Amino acid sequence: MTSIILEAREITYSYPYGPPVICGISFHIRKGEKIALVGPNGAGKSTLLLMCNGMIKPDSGMILYDNKPIQYNRSFLRELRTKIGFVFQNPDNQIIAPTVYQDVAFGPVNLGLPQNEVITAVSDALRAVGLDGFERRPPHQLSGGEKKRVAMAGILAMNPEVLVFDEPTSMLDPQGSEDMMELLEEMHNKGKTIIISTHDVELAYPWADRVILMEEGNILDEDIPELAFADKNLIRKAHLSVPILLELYMELVKRGMKEVKHPPRSVLDMIRMIESDRHGQMQMHCEACGVIHIADCDAVPAGKFLSYLSIHTISAIGAMGNRAKTRLKEESLYPDFTYAVIDRCILQAMNGKNSLLLTSGGMLTSAHERIISFNNENNRHIRIISVPTENGAG
Amino acid sequence: MYFELLENIAQNNGMRDISPYTKLLLGLGCILIVITSPGYIVPLFIAITLSVCILGIGKIPVRLYLTLLSIPLGFAIASVIVIVLVTGGGMTVFSLQVTNWLSLSVTVESLNEGFFVFCRIFGGMCALFFISLTTPMTDLFSVMKRCYIPMVLIDLAMLIYRFIFIFMEKAELIYRAQVMRLGYSTYREAIHTSGDLAGALFLASWNAGEDLIKAMDCRCYSGQFALLSKETPLQIRSVLLICIFLGFCCTLEVITADYTIIPVSI
Repeated sequence: MTSIILEAREITYSYPYGPPVICGISFHIRKGEKIALVGPNGAGKSTLLLMCNGMIKPDSGMILYDNKPIQYNRSFLRELRTKIGFVFQNPDNQIIAPTVYQDVAFGPVNLGLPQNEVITAVSDALRAVGLDGFERRPPHQLSGGEKKRVAMAGILAMNPEVLVFDEPTSMLDPQGSEDMMELLEEMHNKGKTIIISTHDVELAYPWADRVILMEEGNILDEDIPELAFADKNLIRKAHLSVPILLELYMELVKRGMKEVKHPPRSVLDMIRMIESDRHGQMQMHCEACGVIHIADCDAVPAGKFLSYLSIHTISAIGAMGNRAKTRLKEESLYPDFTYAVIDRCILQAMNGKNSLLLTSGGMLTSAHERIISFNNENNRHIRIISVPTENGAG
Repeated sequence: MYFELLENIAQNNGMRDISPYTKLLLGLGCILIVITSPGYIVPLFIAITLSVCILGIGKIPVRLYLTLLSIPLGFAIASVIVIVLVTGGGMTVFSLQVTNWLSLSVTVESLNEGFFVFCRIFGGMCALFFISLTTPMTDLFSVMKRCYIPMVLIDLAMLIYRFIFIFMEKAELIYRAQVMRLGYSTYREAIHTSGDLAGALFLASWNAGEDLIKAMDCRCYSGQFALLSKETPLQIRSVLLICIFLGFCCTLEVITADYTIIPVSI
């Protein structure tokens, strides 16, 4: 297990002349975890998040970052805020400067980085959120989703270790929400610790490593999503709803399906469960299993995809990460999947269809590993073919 | 609404990628020449050439440009009529005895004077529109820095610029909500509702200010604001062309100083 990066000990807080908002909360978050803070409106989620980077000082109790208690003086807080990046719920509250470039550069400039480092930090951050070419646009001309991305880029440019998002998917359409969750996944792959607050259980359920259920300033439960969301009493108390997948699983169990140790977190898990329950270890012939072609979108030369697609029969394209999405757009191709891409490609393969998975950097290896471990766990033989790069023979 | 519209045009016009210095040189130079010109020919010439530039190179829609121009020119025509009627000198062209103590007359000189004033306004407005339609505010901030305007003022200007849009959006939302619930139905009601609008806007601005401080704190504000890093390079060729154009205008100004639209001496 990794070390604890953020810890709260018995913190309480009440707004001046108001009732208590946080009533004696303790929790800890480990490095590299994905935490979802779930609770109804007014449960104190935002207040708790603002305490993480010292924006609000608890009335009693203490918060520790890297096992050091937070001190509420200027220099300590400054240091802390470079480590913990906070993305507000409403991007209009966060975007300060008149152009996208200036806004993203706001943090780095104030950290005193030299000009050329500021420029690289800004362009890296904008590329990470998929907004290259937006440098000179004024924020009021952007759409809600784009503004949210600018706000994120502004935080990423400071390269924090922990990213805190207050309601990252509020005000976004379903596609935008999925893109946002995918972006969070990408950040996580780069080794960031991520804390989000949300009341969208469907998004939190497959994504989070651990869920903290909050209600009226208290923590109701703190567990892995399969368990935290399974307790109907708690869920009712927290004004939430059971994720559909989990509910389906529980209903199937009631009707005699075999109970498993880990309830399904994704459609893929569910399909696998149903298949193995109905037919025992159903084994398809290897010919019947589809193939997953994996391409490194940075290494495959331009124009290669079209010719590759014309040679091979591929029924779906998945783009994992922003680089892959922009790359596909450049080739004027459209991805069929942009979210939970590996799972969906495996699902395709289980159905005997071939798919092309486009990704870059560290996500390449994690895609390989995920498919191989799926093969091992389920005794399957889904073949992976790496799309040849420039050096390899076409 | 017009401010937002002008900014959007300025952000997307055909001359977006020309250095702001070049555009300012042309715009401000023309304004200076128009103001100093003693004859009507140069202002008219500048108005026409700049309009051609705005419409041709800037690719601003003709209708929109005419609508924009009609606002100041409407005022100009109104004042020119007064000038024509009250100034005198030269041969009388037309005279009207309104009452026994007031007579309105139009003379050759007053016509010349009126037309000259109109051309001046026309030229000046074209030059002003040339700057505001082709140069977005965001570019001007970098220019301001180069002109040694104190950073505090530029920072303030940038924040104001950003918040004007948020403010307008808020105002529009509140206004709409009021209209939807029949807020401005009667005269009395309208006064009352506009008061509410002002109050609500005040609170909204106050909150926005507090949020701004929070946001700046969150992002380690230490008194510095970034400016656009990529400045469009100054193109020597266009600067030279503009200098030649301005020089030509000056020469024309000297030559045509005595020209009037109606010959004075008969």
